[in-house]
Amino acid sequence: MENILEVQNIHTFIGQYHILQGVNVRVPKGSIVALLGRNGAGKTTTLKSILGLTPPREGKVIFNGQEVNGLRSFDIASMGIGFVPEHRAIFRDLSVEENLKIAERKKGDYLRKKDFIFTLFPDLQRLIALPGTSLSGGQQQMLAIARALVPDNQLLLIDEPSEGLAPVIIESMMTAIRELAKESTVILVEQNFLVASQLAEYYVIIEEGRSVQDGKMKDLAADKAAIHRFLGAA
Amino acid sequence: MNSFLRKNMVMLVAVFIMAAFLTAAAQGMEKQDFVITLLRGLAVGSITFLVASGFSLIFGLLDVLNLAHGTLFMIGAYLGWTVVVRPDTFVDLLTPLALIISGFALGDVYPLLASRIRLGLSMRRFLPWGLILVSILLLGFILPRYPIAIWDVENYAQSPVTFAFMADSGARLPVQPAAFTEISMPLAVIGLLLASILGAFGISLFDNTPRTVRLSWKNFVSIAVALVVALVGLIFNDQLSAYLYSLNSNWLFFIAVLVATLSGVALGGLMEATLIRPLYSRPIYQLMLTLGMSAIGIEMVRAIWGRPEFVMPKPAFFNGSGEACPATNFADWWANHCSTILIFDGRVRVYNEIFIPLVGLVVLISIWILLQRTRLGMIIRAGVQDSQMVEALGINVRRVFTMVFALGVGLAALGGVLGAPSTGLSNVMGESLLLNALIALAIGGLTSYPGAALGSVIVGMIQQFIIKYGQIGIAIPFTDIIFKPTPPLVPASTVMLMVIVLLILPNGLLGKKE
Repeated sequence: MENILEVQNIHTFIGQYHILQGVNVRVPKGSIVALLGRNGAGKTTTLKSILGLTPPREGKVIFNGQEVNGLRSFDIASMGIGFVPEHRAIFRDLSVEENLKIAERKKGDYLRKKDFIFTLFPDLQRLIALPGTSLSGGQQQMLAIARALVPDNQLLLIDEPSEGLAPVIIESMMTAIRELAKESTVILVEQNFLVASQLAEYYVIIEEGRSVQDGKMKDLAADKAAIHRFLGAA
Repeated sequence: MNSFLRKNMVMLVAVFIMAAFLTAAAQGMEKQDFVITLLRGLAVGSITFLVASGFSLIFGLLDVLNLAHGTLFMIGAYLGWTVVVRPDTFVDLLTPLALIISGFALGDVYPLLASRIRLGLSMRRFLPWGLILVSILLLGFILPRYPIAIWDVENYAQSPVTFAFMADSGARLPVQPAAFTEISMPLAVIGLLLASILGAFGISLFDNTPRTVRLSWKNFVSIAVALVVALVGLIFNDQLSAYLYSLNSNWLFFIAVLVATLSGVALGGLMEATLIRPLYSRPIYQLMLTLGMSAIGIEMVRAIWGRPEFVMPKPAFFNGSGEACPATNFADWWANHCSTILIFDGRVRVYNEIFIPLVGLVVLISIWILLQRTRLGMIIRAGVQDSQMVEALGINVRRVFTMVFALGVGLAALGGVLGAPSTGLSNVMGESLLLNALIALAIGGLTSYPGAALGSVIVGMIQQFIIKYGQIGIAIPFTDIIFKPTPPLVPASTVMLMVIVLLILPNGLLGKKE
């Protein structure tokens, strides 16, 4: 299958710290790929390196056949990559509607996608005029994902969507991610293995800044020893 | 209702304290004194607001404490003065400035040019510096020889003070038009254009990001405009000067405000792009840089305009006098354009105490609309909180940074030129105003736009009321003592208020918790 994104042996430094020391990720078009690993393994940095927010010093990031490492973040994002960061990064001085509108890349993006977004997250329609701060954690997460859906993104980078959410809300979040994955490819960083294994088709395990294993999710789910070794989960 | 009270608690308390303060102040003085002092407070507050709002926008979005902001305010005032008092100097400067800008207007052409040239590694390192050096040498050779009719700070009869005084009294000193004597005109023009193109090309070589550039006629519009301006300035130099001198003072003042503000915008954009941008990862160096820029700016102003203070003539629209003055109501004022108007039997200076607060109000509302109702404003508000996330949405935040820096400096320059006819021009006007603006921001909330307005008005009011009480004295209740605040208490009072506010509300009156 054609890969929409290929991360080839990237090395990323933050300050003087060598955070990523050789990460490889292949993302087939139309799939959900989960980046797994313990806290501090470099999963979030991998997402940020793809987007150029922490530009890799070595290695290549190839999106849709074009090398994007070295370009500025907004140029990379404009090629069709949406980012849902850890802790959501909702703009608190902007209303829910403005939080969506700001993500427009072409005029009218928001109006076009409105219906799709509100069928996915019916709650947001009710909250449209409220400021970003008055939302609950789950609502903020929905807004953050919705924001990434406003422009025509081919690839979504979603960082820890289930973090700090109640089980019921995680359930509806997963439904939403499955739904939006029909339209675009998704890279998911997820601590909760149960969530990741139910959503993703492929996985990459990152350990101490290196990608150490990858493959099909259903193979990993069957391999209890590997899960325990890499993720510390039972 | 309850939630409204809770949400706006700070605001309501601030308004209540202000009201209590003003009521108390009103008890102790005559009605006309009170009104005049109130309006003066508003005027000082408005000028402070123009500086403070720009400063706060820049700090909020870019995290840059621009300590040169006061100096840029001062430069705005001096540039405006030059347009009003010596329009010929301004016209003489037009051509060389337009020529220097024109090379940079080619922008996208350079990467294309660079991609056509194949160079060795050492040559690639040396070439930009070599080009910049040649450019600087050329500029250094031509600019001192380029004829510009200007005042002479060393000679009192030809100094800015004398020119300002004569212009204020309606008669102008005759000026010697400048002519090309030390350098031939074609050489000067071609040399400046060449220096500009070489310098711009050199600077563009530092940027190695690969870009695909398609050339079209649009790439050449800006250079064409710059060259036309340069040529018009050159060919019609005398006519342009004569035309500007023949304009009445209202038009001249209007042009001065425009020129000063736009120069501020250009200067701000240039400063961000060349000096501030490379230092975003090193905030301490940025702080030192802006501090240094401030000192350099002050010395430059001293070298060009001299040390003595002088005034900028008020436009005739606000400067009428005679039998019918002071005006007794606004219809009367409109008919005679008196410099003063009677409000509650007090003589209010129309320019200082009515026009300036009005402009402050217009700017307050315009920027408010920009921030709340436009896409750019939305990006600014979002960027103040998290500029990295804004960039991750595919928005060129750096360009917005440059725009906001330019806008902030433009506002400061506008403040400078507006304040010049009322407070006069001096080398220290910027520093004292920056201090006022910083205190206003600390009181109002460092990154809050309404906070900048509220803080500025509070600072202006308190200072003016203390000045007034210094003249009439405050009767201390239950005693016979009349206390007259001394001048040092004027700045001290605002600092004291700042300390009190920050002790109770560490984020200022309207600032948000970080």
